Amino acid sequence: MELGVRLAAHVIVCLSIFAFASQGQSQTHEGKQLVKAELLADTTTVVPGKPFTAGLLLRMAPGWHTYWKFSGDAGLPTEVKWKLPKGWKIGEIQWPIPQKTIDPGDIQTYGYQDEVLLMQEITPPATIDNSSVKLSADAIWLVCEKICIPGSANLELELPRSTTGAPANTEKFARYRRFLPHDWPGAKVAAVNWKRGRSDLRLSVKSATLANYPNVDFYPLPQGDTVVGHPRLESRSGNEMVFRVPLESASKDLSSIQGLVVFAQDADGNERAAWQIPTSAIASVESATPIPARGIFTFLLFGFLGGVILNLMPCVLPVISLKIFGFIQHAGQSRQKILRSGIAFAGGIFAWFIGLALLLIALKAAGREITWGGFQFTNPYFVLALSVIVLVFALNLFGVFEISLPQSATRGVLGWTGAQGDVGSFFQGVFATVLATPCTAPFLGTALGFAFTQSPAIILSIFFAIAAGMSAPYLLLCAQPAWLRFLPKPGPWMVHMKQFMGFLLLATLLFLLYVLGAQRGLEGAIWASCFLLMIGVVCWMKGAFVLPTASVAKRSVVLVLMLVIVLASGIYFIGGKFHSTNIASANSQLHGDWQAFTPERLKTELEQGHSVFVDFTAAWCLTCKFNEANVLESGAVREAFQRHAIVKLKADWTNGDPVITKLLQQFGRPGVPLYVLYRGKSEEPIVFPELLTKSIILDKLETISRTVASQ
Amino acid sequence: MKTKLTLAIIASLVTTALYAFDPPPVGSAAPDFSLTDAKGAAHSLSQYKGKYVVLEWFNPECPFVKKHYGSGNMQKLQQQYTDKGVVWLTIDSNAPGTEGNITPDQAQKIMASWKTKQTALLLDPESKVARSYGAKNTPNMVVINPEGKIAYEGAIDSKATPNPADIPNSTNYVKVALDESLEGKPVTTSTTKPYGCSVKYR
Repeated sequence: MELGVRLAAHVIVCLSIFAFASQGQSQTHEGKQLVKAELLADTTTVVPGKPFTAGLLLRMAPGWHTYWKFSGDAGLPTEVKWKLPKGWKIGEIQWPIPQKTIDPGDIQTYGYQDEVLLMQEITPPATIDNSSVKLSADAIWLVCEKICIPGSANLELELPRSTTGAPANTEKFARYRRFLPHDWPGAKVAAVNWKRGRSDLRLSVKSATLANYPNVDFYPLPQGDTVVGHPRLESRSGNEMVFRVPLESASKDLSSIQGLVVFAQDADGNERAAWQIPTSAIASVESATPIPARGIFTFLLFGFLGGVILNLMPCVLPVISLKIFGFIQHAGQSRQKILRSGIAFAGGIFAWFIGLALLLIALKAAGREITWGGFQFTNPYFVLALSVIVLVFALNLFGVFEISLPQSATRGVLGWTGAQGDVGSFFQGVFATVLATPCTAPFLGTALGFAFTQSPAIILSIFFAIAAGMSAPYLLLCAQPAWLRFLPKPGPWMVHMKQFMGFLLLATLLFLLYVLGAQRGLEGAIWASCFLLMIGVVCWMKGAFVLPTASVAKRSVVLVLMLVIVLASGIYFIGGKFHSTNIASANSQLHGDWQAFTPERLKTELEQGHSVFVDFTAAWCLTCKFNEANVLESGAVREAFQRHAIVKLKADWTNGDPVITKLLQQFGRPGVPLYVLYRGKSEEPIVFPELLTKSIILDKLETISRTVASQ
Repeated sequence: MKTKLTLAIIASLVTTALYAFDPPPVGSAAPDFSLTDAKGAAHSLSQYKGKYVVLEWFNPECPFVKKHYGSGNMQKLQQQYTDKGVVWLTIDSNAPGTEGNITPDQAQKIMASWKTKQTALLLDPESKVARSYGAKNTPNMVVINPEGKIAYEGAIDSKATPNPADIPNSTNYVKVALDESLEGKPVTTSTTKPYGCSVKYR
């Protein structure tokens, strides 16, 4: 029986070559036949209305190959253009699973050796007038060995019309149908998950079936303008494997690509199979998991929440308490006044953030490398200016001097340090946000990191969201002034409270001096303090002698004297002494087994096969200090680092080192903290969250040592 | 200068060391190199700082290269932009013993008979420069701005075929990138997938 079928098939094959297949065409190069091309059909006749399959058969000389739909780093896909009579339909080319070839220079291509059949389904119309049909196709290909030669052919296939058809070329078609990739088997057999990074995609496939195959690879099929690098199996443990697909050029919202997951027992064996990543899975990824896509709304939400959290930051707290204090004062006043004051305060917050956004946009446009703290806390003069402001504010709270009458001209300049009036509220809003900058809350970091790479409109809206978040509690209290009644009644305790808050500001000043010390050393901090001392004297002069009761002449003399002191001490202490102090060396913060980070150092350690943990930190970064004290310097973590022989490098960004700025940007971060673990030269570095916990570090170190052990 | 060097180290560290052979991304510093041309004169990228520089990977045997030289398209581009002060460096990075590797004599002959108009045809038989740029194809095009940063990398045009008849109907990405750059505008299409033969590494 079987013999009979085989014999019949054989006869049909012979017949088809004689009658139903096209005349083949050859491509020759320097007298050598490189490619023989012909058209084949899987039927002996055409039955009207009944689909059949036809294909372009390319037979390559030994060592030569043609290419897949995605040719890889070089080459070109073969093209077939059918010329069919009117009313005929043709399907897409069904590409068999290609072979992946890696040539010197890591040039990866996908193609076919020896022979390939590119099949397409053809549907004839319900009626065919002629007794036989002539189908023709133009084929263009590139065939390469060491060199590449383009080839082309105009091919024909003539088939008689009939009411019944017999199979033809069965062996060939059966063989190439077996080489076609399968549809995705469904989420139960193999679950697909995509993750978009800044410059890569990660494809995770969870499948018990695939776990049995030693060789699993991902062949990409990038569409449109997307340019991909070489996909690589990044990790494989149990049923899950993760491929990293580098993106050299891709739109920001690309969250997945098409492709094949190819699996085999041997790397190049014929018994290979492939599953086509379903387009439905590609579409569903975006809707199912919005976090990886990080849509604009996610970031606006993060911005808003980050803004709310800023209120709880220790460096904002003094100003916040002041504002609450202001509310208490206002509690007895009209509702309108409270609302106005609240709106003015919110206006100050908005003004600062929008100003910041505009500055960021302007500087970004100017091509400057700036970051969240980069143009603020890494600049010692900014820190110094802030110190002056905090000191003046503190002395005001202590009662050393009072702010002049509202109508006075000085009010416009100094009025913001006062605690009354709408202008005062506005500048308090500004001041509160200025103080918030060193406390880059975790949420804010994400939103800003995103904003940094975005268009001006998006930067503006994210900063707007942060401002909205920060001012929300005040606006709420103003809209519901009734809640203010729950606050304590004004009384003499307020004076004590006010003075006590002066000490909170002095504590903030200590922190700022610590930052200055880290930036410019002990000497720098002392010279800055000298200047601050003179500022203090000036404030006292203002309180003691510039009184409304004093004569105009006396007031003018004192004011001129004050100005002279500020200028003279400014020129001497800051312009001279402070300015000439050296930038404190980055090593000054190193202790224990930490070593100073340099890119060269990192490279050398990685080349020697060490794992390296880099702590991007700065003296003024409170989150960094917290993480270092509670996590990185804790016994368990220190011990784990030692046990896994991880080299610990500290990258100190206190002074805004441009090399470190650049690296922070590479990781999409606007500032510190940043914690990165490099596992080796070829491995993708692991980035830790901004707020560390012991368990995050310990768990990660455990998994890494496990993967290393299993390799 | 020192900053520049450190930046270059950083760029090579993050891009080259971790993902060998991936081209340095657009906007990063173009790796410096020094090569001799067909006449034996040395050219380095740093000596052309302050000018726009085009790098064109070359293989006289490659049908995709022949497409652009046979039609006169490449010579026309070279003429047009070198006239505007752009430095055009054609680089043959094919290793000795592979198709497309040429000696200085052969290079001079090709330049004469093909009437090429580039600033210089550089020989890179050790494929060092091709490696540092992650060049995988001929032709592979790179445009470098006067600040020494990569402004465009990828294909010469939008029709990935060896057929010269496709040239008139294709968008020449290098031309667009150069025109936009010279007008002080940002390059709209700054990365494309290069097409052509592979660079023959050893």
